[in-house]
Amino acid sequence: MTQAFLQEQFRARIQELPGTETMRVARQKAMLSFNSSGYPTRKWEDWRYTDLKTISSAEYDPIPALPSANTISHAKQQVDSLGLAKDAKSIVFIDGYLKNSFGPLPATHEIEIANLYETAEHSIRSSTSAFYEGMPLAALNTAFSAGGIYLQVAADTIITAPLHLIFVASNEPSITQQPRVVINLKPGSQLQVIQHFIGSTPSISWTNAVTQITQEAGSTLRLYRIQDESETQLHTELLSSKLAADANLELGYVDFGGSLVRNDARIDLAGPGASCSLFGLSIANKGQHIDNHIHINHIEPRTVSQQAFRSIIGDQGRGVFNGKVVVQKNAQKIDAQQSSDNLLLSERSEINTKPELEIYADDVKCTHGATVGQLDEEQLFYLRARGVDETAARGLLTFAFANQIINRLQIPELKERVMREILQRLPGRQQWDELL
Amino acid sequence: MLEINNLHVCVEEHTILNGLTLSVSAGEVHAIMGPNGSGKSTLAQVIAGREDYRIIKGSITYSGQDLLSMPAEDRARAGLFLGFQYPIEIPGVNNTYLLKAALNAQRAARGENEIDAFEFMKIIKEKIELMQIPKDFLTRSVNEGFSGGEKKRNEILQMLVLQPTLAVLDETDSGLDVDALKVVADGMNSLRSPNNAMILVTHYERLLEYVVPDFVHVLSEGKIAKSGDSSLAGELDKRGYDWVQSKTENT
Repeated sequence: MTQAFLQEQFRARIQELPGTETMRVARQKAMLSFNSSGYPTRKWEDWRYTDLKTISSAEYDPIPALPSANTISHAKQQVDSLGLAKDAKSIVFIDGYLKNSFGPLPATHEIEIANLYETAEHSIRSSTSAFYEGMPLAALNTAFSAGGIYLQVAADTIITAPLHLIFVASNEPSITQQPRVVINLKPGSQLQVIQHFIGSTPSISWTNAVTQITQEAGSTLRLYRIQDESETQLHTELLSSKLAADANLELGYVDFGGSLVRNDARIDLAGPGASCSLFGLSIANKGQHIDNHIHINHIEPRTVSQQAFRSIIGDQGRGVFNGKVVVQKNAQKIDAQQSSDNLLLSERSEINTKPELEIYADDVKCTHGATVGQLDEEQLFYLRARGVDETAARGLLTFAFANQIINRLQIPELKERVMREILQRLPGRQQWDELL
Repeated sequence: MLEINNLHVCVEEHTILNGLTLSVSAGEVHAIMGPNGSGKSTLAQVIAGREDYRIIKGSITYSGQDLLSMPAEDRARAGLFLGFQYPIEIPGVNNTYLLKAALNAQRAARGENEIDAFEFMKIIKEKIELMQIPKDFLTRSVNEGFSGGEKKRNEILQMLVLQPTLAVLDETDSGLDVDALKVVADGMNSLRSPNNAMILVTHYERLLEYVVPDFVHVLSEGKIAKSGDSSLAGELDKRGYDWVQSKTENT
């Protein structure tokens, strides 16, 4: 969408967007901010390898029509295909709209779940300019987001059952879905969230999502984000999190779908002893481009960060990984680890991987490592010498590479589903997948 | 069972095997000995189907088939087994899984059904005990974090599960202490039968005290310089490889 088109749409249709009058003012501010910067371009250091021209040059409806009965029933099928347990707690978005039509929002007294734009306080607080500063796509989400959810867990409350947030892109062509998730964990609370981005649209649409997390002292969040949208979908998202003392965040990304994918994570370790562990697996096949940009800010002492990202890049696929770790002057005795391992399956596969360390403290432990390579010929021969044919051996070794990330998923049903998805994308699996 | 005839093999521009001829029949155990660089490991790799070698001249026939035209996996499915000198670590691929995949690939090639899960576990448990491999082995990745000795015992375990017609064991004995050597030798002996054959590639005579071969061949400069019965191994141990090499030079 050109900037001019967006501006015109915003001016003409702002009344269609939910929220109070104050929220509208916040949206206008965000739109102004987006207008002054425009889309990120490849001249921006953080966007050198990812070109948003496909997005900025075409017209996608920034405020799609409310999902029709037909769209809803189609979306329901897609949600069912996730195979979640009957008693699983889930919240569904369709084309960016919060949809409770599959049942009311799951409610307990321990976890507050609210429509973000029906609570003026939360929507306005999460839409300040400080949040989207320097991030035009987050500003755009603030301006246009038509559906959002607010989750808050009370102090010292442990929610054991994972909460599923499901974002379905319908078959409606050329639209933009811009959902927004706000999570607030009170001191000592624990929560598990799984975000599923799904869709099977054959046309080109754009997902531009934002997740904002605040973790108070000693809280624990496990958040897995599985992106399995159609291979024509454009997907950009920002996840930002601020952790107070001794809070812990486990963040896992899996990306299969999308034609152009850009995931940004910005983590502030803002209290002593706060820690985060990030991992990710991307599989980019023909023509897919998957970019993970991680930014971890060690603000306080004794904070810990770990990053383990892997990508499997097929023929004409492209991957980008950028792991930035900043250690502030006050942040002594921190520990930051990072690894990026990449498997290129073809001569026409491409990966750009870069660690970036900015260290202003002097008593720190920082490690990083990146590998880029093909399948190991010695391993291939070993398997073949045991009777596994070459295609299957290649598939098996590729799976083994992926498996070392998938094994980190601590929710068995989810791990199993992700494994099946990976298997579908590998050659020669008939010979070996039933053995797993 | 195996007929190697006038085999010439090159790596890049170097000739490694230079007119090697060897015949192995069912029920026999052959030991191939020789100094470093004499071509022992190359012979094992070429039999197993490694593609990094160039065959200049000669042939290998295995059970009537032209072995050199078969890819490595087809050789394995036809009952040929290579015990690796340096077993490879494969993180993320579990041992049980590899054993099952290997066994089923072989069975499929013979037109048999996949092995029953219960039957499979029974076989594995029995062989694990024989090879004195820790139980957690089954859930671990192939050779990952194994000691040198464990890796070699794992090779023999795989051999026992697959019950090959012809096993080529490349320096399985190197790097083993006496206790481990005995375990490995027991494994090898348990495979011996009138229906299958074994080629032991080794640098030292020690293994051959436990697994007594029917024939011993000494490889030198890419061909067999001397053949004899098991007593040849003992003689080599006393007199060294120079004895064979100087003898060939004299003739």
